[in-house]
Amino acid sequence: MTRIVHYLNQFFAGVGAEEAAGSPPASSAGPAGPGRRLGTLLGPGYEIVATVWCGDDHATAPGAVDEILTLIRAAQPDLVVAGPAFTSGRYGLACARVAAAAGDAGLLALAAMHEDNPGVDEAGAIPVVASGPSARTMGPSLERLAAAAQKLAQGEPLTGEDGRLNRPARRGVLTERTGAERAVDLVLARLGGDQAATEIPLPRFQPVSPAGPVDPATAVVALLTEGGLVPDGNPDRLESARATRWLRYPLPPKGELPVGDYCSIHGGFSTAWANEDPHRILPLDVATDLEREGLVGRLHPEYLVTTGNGTSVGNARRFGVEWAAELRRAGIQAVILTST
Amino acid sequence: MRYVRDDLAAPGLTRIVHRVDTVALGRETHYDAGVLTVSPAEAKQLAADPALREVRVSWASPGEPVRIVKVLDAVEPRAKGANGGGVFPGVLGPVKPVGTGETHVLRGVAVVAAGFLPRAQEAVADLAGPAAALSPLGRTHNLVVEFSPANGATWEAVEAALRRALCRLAARLASAALDAPPDAVEHLPGPARRAGRGLPRVGAITNLQTQGSFKDTFVYGRSFGPSMPALVDPNELDDGAVVSGQYGHPGLKNPTYLYQNHPVVATLRRRDGDDLRFAGLVLCPEPVEQDRKELVSAHAARLCAIAGFDAMVVTKEGGGNADADMALKMDALEALGIPAVGLFAEMAGADGTGPPVVVAPTRATAMVSTGNYDQVVSLPALARAVGGERVDLVDRPATASLELPTAVLYCALSPLGWGRLTCQEAS
Repeated sequence: MTRIVHYLNQFFAGVGAEEAAGSPPASSAGPAGPGRRLGTLLGPGYEIVATVWCGDDHATAPGAVDEILTLIRAAQPDLVVAGPAFTSGRYGLACARVAAAAGDAGLLALAAMHEDNPGVDEAGAIPVVASGPSARTMGPSLERLAAAAQKLAQGEPLTGEDGRLNRPARRGVLTERTGAERAVDLVLARLGGDQAATEIPLPRFQPVSPAGPVDPATAVVALLTEGGLVPDGNPDRLESARATRWLRYPLPPKGELPVGDYCSIHGGFSTAWANEDPHRILPLDVATDLEREGLVGRLHPEYLVTTGNGTSVGNARRFGVEWAAELRRAGIQAVILTST
Repeated sequence: MRYVRDDLAAPGLTRIVHRVDTVALGRETHYDAGVLTVSPAEAKQLAADPALREVRVSWASPGEPVRIVKVLDAVEPRAKGANGGGVFPGVLGPVKPVGTGETHVLRGVAVVAAGFLPRAQEAVADLAGPAAALSPLGRTHNLVVEFSPANGATWEAVEAALRRALCRLAARLASAALDAPPDAVEHLPGPARRAGRGLPRVGAITNLQTQGSFKDTFVYGRSFGPSMPALVDPNELDDGAVVSGQYGHPGLKNPTYLYQNHPVVATLRRRDGDDLRFAGLVLCPEPVEQDRKELVSAHAARLCAIAGFDAMVVTKEGGGNADADMALKMDALEALGIPAVGLFAEMAGADGTGPPVVVAPTRATAMVSTGNYDQVVSLPALARAVGGERVDLVDRPATASLELPTAVLYCALSPLGWGRLTCQEAS
């Protein structure tokens, strides 16, 4: 008997919609929601022994994945199945992270979501199989997930034929020929008519649909930056390149960033002008003027910051989803995100 | 039709190569039969500058248990005549066109600056252990130049002084071999003026990082930032027409040494007349503004079309920002019907599962991988370190065992294609 723990969000666990997105993780015995159909599709030899669920916003908070994993491990599963998350970004990210954490803990794990979901790139070496775009495609999505789960439980690797979306890990190896020699080989292959030859598969970048317009005069607006602007001395050691995290700092109540109290630690540009006037990175001065003039409803009293320099796309996407969740929790309708 | 090369080509350059097997410090700078001796007193005098309070030199050789930290630029010793004239135009001497005549090369040596500069991301080069194979400095005897800035000197002045000092030392060391019998003589013809035997004309586009102070590249002594793409004779690079002042992205750095020994140019030269004609080299800036990136890319592609190039190998210096220059240029070339191959380092996260490039071309598809920037490499403890006492990035002693992303290892992901790293899908 393969013991399965199924991970869901608050909505599919039947707890509630957005109003319950802040719910902490919880566990119940046996399948719930789409888990019932999944259990039927898996058939004899498989048992969903527990369902662990968490609110979408809570799941992106620091430490949430550890709490979820503790609940999963308490049910002693052989396999962890997460989702399907369809195109829901927060849910997909949670599914990917929970599955990745389960994999790190030595468990077999699998997540399901739509190919556009940012979670696809967050699962590490754990396979993610395709689902449809929305719950309307629940039936076929669960069929694919069940088939993949059976295959994985039998010790077989999942491939594109199983609907696997994320590629296996790419590892560095030393070759006989130098990069320059291989480049000239490749150019001659192209001239010889080989249109497909490449050493790097093209990444999938999905266009992002902008959110609908807001009325700035009533909106709560937050200031965000990837310019590495931190309190002087960089107390929390934000990285100057290859950032793996983001930070949050209160904005000074007077509506200005005093020179000398803030510095940019960004490694990708000369920070002299940023340090001379921190508002060049974070425009608190003009934003405060706009608030005073009534053109902006209210400024959020904190700013979010990371360093955009040599950042992997995976981390950058994760920051985006985490920021979105954080801003939703804080009731913010619009942001000014400065780029450097 | 008989294939004729030299009578169609530009005048060409002859490299007079002197191999260096053994290095030492001594009273006088001297080269004889593979042994290079450097006078520290003379080296300090040559490097002297109002912006530098003190300069120290030492050797770090391949196979020695030594780590160079905070590596800045590296330069190969070259000279065209007495007193170092004729090389590094615009840095050491007048801005006369170079790339013809004879150039003496001390092969197996690099003059290397190491120490703190602002915006310089810490670079590490091991001369023993598993990482030695990942850096060109793992193969060369390295005269490491350490320095202390003068009180009150601006960092910009310190950087310019270092750049001049490395070029001056490189020219002086090579001039010690002017009268020595050569170990090899290499003739480098100029680029082919027209196709021969129906072979495709393949050229190289080399993007030079030009993102302001400490992230800049100099052509004939001036920042290439404001320039438009320029078609040059690759032999000009042999004589030091391109000098690096770029200290970010250690793994993705193109030091002066690799411009002097441009790997794509060397490969195209080697295969010229066999399966391709080496058509030439186009230098491009990497501007910071998007509209300038687009302009330079479109212009570079148009220049290649006008020159009648059949295909291009495109390279960059730097990280994700420079990927945008790559993608725009490759797409602009393909739009004009010129196949383009780009060299990229993957930025796929430590576990190698993330999207590999930050900005991908949409029309062009042919990319060479020079390894994963984020993959962690374990370096053993080594007996000695030069360039600094600590690796600040991981807050460890410079001689300690280190776990570092490949991005930190000097030239390990060489965008010019020096290295042998690539990535493959794990089975």
